[in-house]
Amino acid sequence: MKTIAGRIAFNLFAWTVVLVTAFPLIWMILTSVKPQFELFRIPPTFWPEQITFEHYVRLIYETPFLKYMRNSLILGFATTIVVVVVATLGAHSLVRFRYPGRERLAQMVLFTYLLPSVVLILPLYLMMVWLGIANTIFSLVIAYTTFALPYALWLLRSFMQGIPDDLEAAALVDGATRMEAFVDVILPQALPGIISTSLFTFILAWNEYLYALVLVNTDEARPLTTGVMSMLVSAFNIEWSLLMAASVMMSLPLIIIFAFLQTYLTRGFGAGGVKG
Amino acid sequence: MADVLFQKVRKAFGSAVAVKSLDLAIGSGEFVSLLGPSGCGKTTTLRMLAGLEFPTEGEIRIGDRVVNAVPPGQRDIAMVFQSYALYPHMSVAENIAYPLKKRGIGRAERDAKVASVAATLQLGALLDRKPRQLSGGQQQRVALGRALVRDPKVFLLDEPLSNLDAKLRAHMRAELIELHRKLGKTFIYVTHDQLEAMTMSDRVAVMHEGDLQQFGAPMQVYEKPANLFVAGFIGSPAMNLLAGVLEPSGSGLAFVRQGLRLAVGDGGQAGQKVTLGVRPEDIALGSGPFVATVRIVEPTGHETIVIADIGGQSAIVRVQPDTAYAVGSETPFAVRTSRLHAFDSVTGARLDLAFALPAS
Ligand SMILES: Nc1ncnc2c1ncn2[C@@H]1O[C@H](COP(=O)(O)OP(=O)(O)OP(=O)(O)O)[C@@H](O)[C@H]1O
Ligand SMILES: [Mg+2]
Repeated sequence: MKTIAGRIAFNLFAWTVVLVTAFPLIWMILTSVKPQFELFRIPPTFWPEQITFEHYVRLIYETPFLKYMRNSLILGFATTIVVVVVATLGAHSLVRFRYPGRERLAQMVLFTYLLPSVVLILPLYLMMVWLGIANTIFSLVIAYTTFALPYALWLLRSFMQGIPDDLEAAALVDGATRMEAFVDVILPQALPGIISTSLFTFILAWNEYLYALVLVNTDEARPLTTGVMSMLVSAFNIEWSLLMAASVMMSLPLIIIFAFLQTYLTRGFGAGGVKG
Repeated sequence: MADVLFQKVRKAFGSAVAVKSLDLAIGSGEFVSLLGPSGCGKTTTLRMLAGLEFPTEGEIRIGDRVVNAVPPGQRDIAMVFQSYALYPHMSVAENIAYPLKKRGIGRAERDAKVASVAATLQLGALLDRKPRQLSGGQQQRVALGRALVRDPKVFLLDEPLSNLDAKLRAHMRAELIELHRKLGKTFIYVTHDQLEAMTMSDRVAVMHEGDLQQFGAPMQVYEKPANLFVAGFIGSPAMNLLAGVLEPSGSGLAFVRQGLRLAVGDGGQAGQKVTLGVRPEDIALGSGPFVATVRIVEPTGHETIVIADIGGQSAIVRVQPDTAYAVGSETPFAVRTSRLHAFDSVTGARLDLAFALPAS
């Protein structure tokens, strides 16, 4: 069925899906550069008649947007580092060492992932208060770790299962310590998996809303998601053009990261196994 | 002096016992094969020696040092894995240099040693490649190079040739023998291929179900198998094992089974169940006191394998290709009595019995 017509039909279909998916994004970008008066005109314009960056300027100079951005970046990177470091070592242990209850442990970890996050919010909040770290970015790092870690652990575990045992054994025989064998041999082999896990965790932390809403209520610690909402969406009014500009800027870091790591990402999700 | 010593070594994985109670003394500079069917504990034995598994019981020595608690890197051994275990992200040169790097040897010396090993193994042109860009035979040589570069006391090789095709295998076999002669180091070689074990080794350790069955020179294992398992395992085609019983006959005893009756010199007791072992080349078709029926004839060119029925059991006979045997025909035969083996059918242990053809 590899006819020309078939291929054209397939391409048409694929492009339709792409356009439908991308349309809100395109609309968001276009809206963010339209002047205020053009927004609510009927019939609406697709291409802006006049391009302006005033919304961006206002967002940066007249609102705490940059502070939220900073918080989100700290939050995203800190969560990613904590989760990936712990998950990499944990996955290695689950795959490589034989100890009683190791399968059970792996299953329990996944079980925590199955609990709805709403159930965990209140206990977590009480715990943060008790620890005296409520209302800090750090408390969010911990909260995000609780739900990103199980998934990361499973993702990396299946990755590391694809790395042959003999590689590590060879390194040990060649004179490496356990740690050196891990760094010299296991880490490079697991790199695609580590990168996809990092990306997954970063996106999760970047987009999270519910925990941020409940656990943090000062501008000092608020990330972009809740910050932008509370700043621009009130009961009386939604600042559409500012919201669109904010949305564009929020998407930017993800797009940049994706662009850099795309090759790793496809390799990561495509090939779990590593040929020895 | 023993270079490698296993003393009452046992290894269990949970309830599964991989190695039962191994006593093995391997001399300095010896080439020893661990030979046995799949799952008999060869790899486990090798991995314990390498320090990758800990014995459940017993003691392992390398040189005069007990190594039970010594980590793999400090045992002065090098190992070639069945899967080769080349580091995929490193080039051939980096792979070979890795053990040197881990021992803190400087760059200049490292490069010199890698170059010298590469020259020995004809890897010079491949040094910049990654392992996945190499053929199986080339990967095998890189794995060997990584072991050679360090000049260890003992080399451990786990079925290093099993992934190669028959021709390359024969070639590498010769190269390994040559290498062992040149280095004069102790080689411990795991294989389930008896041809490899017989042709390469100074001594062969035959294992079965976690037990050492026999440890001796290849010809000794072939000509004086210690028990029924070794008798049936070593030799291709396999030894014919014919069950019978010792009966009183005149002043002495006779081995009796359907279609076969042999006088027994000394040893044995009347009524003892005995299994007679006859190698395919020790049956002479054409004349003799017994009769066999030809069932299958398989000419291979340089010899012909005849499968014949001897008293209700098929036996394999090796004959010269110049005589033709008709399938279904009956032919007289004799056995070379000086080359017969006898085993206790119950315990499987070798019996020293002297046989003679019946006086006709
Ligand atoms: N890590 C392990 N956990 C549990 N059982 C094991 C483990 N490693 C080996 N065994 C068992 O120990 C026995 C011996 O295994 P081993 O790998 O030593 O056999 P082998 O002689 O090398 O066989 P092969 O020729 O197939 O490589 C087998 O029954 C195997 O199932
Ligand atoms: Mg094995």
